[in-house]
Amino acid sequence: MKILIVDDDRINSTILNRLLARDGHAVVISHDGVEGVEKFRRENPDLVLMDIRMPRMNGYEAARQIKRLAANRFVPIIFLTAVTDEESLALCIDAGGDDFLTKPFNRTILQAKIDAMERIRRLHGELRRQKETVERHQEQLQQEMEVGQHLFAKIVSAGNLLDAPCLKRWTSPMSVFNGDLLVAAYNPAGGLHIMLGDFTGHGLSAAVGAMPLAEIFYEMTAQGFSLSELVEAINAKLISVMPTRMFCAACLIEVDFRQQSLLVWNGGLPDVLVTDQTGRVVRRLVSNRLPLGVQALTREDRKMEIMEMRPEHRVFLFSDGLIEAPDPSGEMFGLDRLMAHFDGRTQTDQIFDTILSSLRNFRGGAVQTDDISLLEIDCSRAGEEPPGGMPRRSEKNLPPAPWEISFSFHAGTLKNVDPLPTVINAVMSIQAPTGHRERLYTILAELLSNALDHGLLGLDTEMKKTPTGFIEYYNLREERLAALESGFIQLKLMHEPVLSEVDGRRIGGAIHIRLDDSGPGFDYNKVRSSLEGNCGHGGRGIALIRSLCSELAYLGDGNQAEVVYRWMYE
Amino acid sequence: MSGTISVERSDKETVINIKGRFNFEMHSQFRTAYQEDTSKGQKGRKFVIDLSGTEYIDSSALGMLLLLREEAGTNESDIEIINAKPEIRKILETANFQRLFKIS
Repeated sequence: MKILIVDDDRINSTILNRLLARDGHAVVISHDGVEGVEKFRRENPDLVLMDIRMPRMNGYEAARQIKRLAANRFVPIIFLTAVTDEESLALCIDAGGDDFLTKPFNRTILQAKIDAMERIRRLHGELRRQKETVERHQEQLQQEMEVGQHLFAKIVSAGNLLDAPCLKRWTSPMSVFNGDLLVAAYNPAGGLHIMLGDFTGHGLSAAVGAMPLAEIFYEMTAQGFSLSELVEAINAKLISVMPTRMFCAACLIEVDFRQQSLLVWNGGLPDVLVTDQTGRVVRRLVSNRLPLGVQALTREDRKMEIMEMRPEHRVFLFSDGLIEAPDPSGEMFGLDRLMAHFDGRTQTDQIFDTILSSLRNFRGGAVQTDDISLLEIDCSRAGEEPPGGMPRRSEKNLPPAPWEISFSFHAGTLKNVDPLPTVINAVMSIQAPTGHRERLYTILAELLSNALDHGLLGLDTEMKKTPTGFIEYYNLREERLAALESGFIQLKLMHEPVLSEVDGRRIGGAIHIRLDDSGPGFDYNKVRSSLEGNCGHGGRGIALIRSLCSELAYLGDGNQAEVVYRWMYE
Repeated sequence: MSGTISVERSDKETVINIKGRFNFEMHSQFRTAYQEDTSKGQKGRKFVIDLSGTEYIDSSALGMLLLLREEAGTNESDIEIINAKPEIRKILETANFQRLFKIS
């Protein structure tokens, strides 16, 4: 250790010098306060032994200046003093002294004091290094959090349609990252997909799972995959990326305005509540599936619950954070306090807000312990488009060129895979006219479901005419599809460019679609006359197809359909 | 704030008793409680999770049960959850854990 002695008494300093040198310390000597401060600055010693009464500058002042110079570093100062009265000692402490040594010097005491100071000095250095490390880590963490937040916000809110007019939502994350995921998007047929997911835990580790999930949700919905295919894909993804102890309790809902139906899948979230015009709960959609990310799904697990949607219905879904939100004493908000809002005395359009205000009052200043989400679907507004119109995917806009593709789907494929997204995505990757995906999707959806539902599964289109019939129809379809053993659907698409009559430039294209199924066909003349202009429930969607296409013809026994769809550059 | 865990072992059975709050803070305690058995790779051991003294259970605790199930050998494992209070049973059933564990 390097020790600075500041003492005008040469005998004292010589004695000290000798004692210290013998113990292996390097010694620097100065003879007054001014020189002491100067040597401190130059030599940077680890410890200072300081006399009090000295010419030019006394020990108190020198100690003060040295302590100022050492600001961030701990340099112990031991005062050398002949007096032991309290007042002088208090002055030493005031000046920044750390200890005293009384004259005449005792070698053992001197050694002990220097050792003690050395220990404190080491500890102080260690502490300072740790503090610097913590500060550095904190800054790094802060920067990483900011990057993470940016990514999270971009991925999770990409194309998020939570401003759809029928949705009202409230979400309160307990940390920067939300472990509750709330996403919504339209499929190409105009159906609204909504998902509320609650990941195990909260904060960053919970939010990490939200990113792949949101990506799958948006991508597959935009491509026209069904809700049960979304459930399947998300589940598989979460199993492959998340540790065993993490999962995602989730509810997925499809609002199908055209069919006036709701499809619901609930795995691990509290009951989804459906109210009527009185504000009472008329239906509860209980969790009857395992949460996502626990184990592979069976065919049964992928099944949706279907219910008729009426304009007076409101659907409420929430994460368990709502029921478990504590007040300052630790008591939970609880199901009873929540259900009190569904007693028929609260106006239906007020329920959402009154739940939130009573939750706020209940919680008071209590610390939030989990992420909380609440979502309402107002079915009377399900048909309204979002502000700014329906979102459109921007496509590649390839110049029109001739091409031809054909598909052949057999029973074994049809019972497990919906051919529609595959077909539409093949078409869009060859010829991708912006703004036509939705219409092509609708046409192919109608043609394929006619072929499958009526041709292969033998379902009666009459059934679909009433909402309750539609539910029966849907359930019967599931049943027959699972049991399907034979049959096929063949689809052929042929595209040719359309040329301008003025200058012969390619200004668009025509897609010829031909569909054959192995079913018995139907009397298309009869259907056409009775369903003119009707595109509500059922009716084989013929009127709908006709409204979108330039040509529609049924051939043979009615099990062959030919359609021409024309598109122009926008 | 969090709970306490006690373990009773016999030749064939490990009973894990959880008192108080079964939440994320119990992670290492719970793991220690069963790992003495699962780390040996011994098959056919029965685990009993006694929740009679459990006041609260969160999703992290459900995750720990899944972890026990995996480390004990997923499908061959014999895990029984007993004495859950009604509100805790409701949480287990909302997650449909009766499909993965015996709940009685």
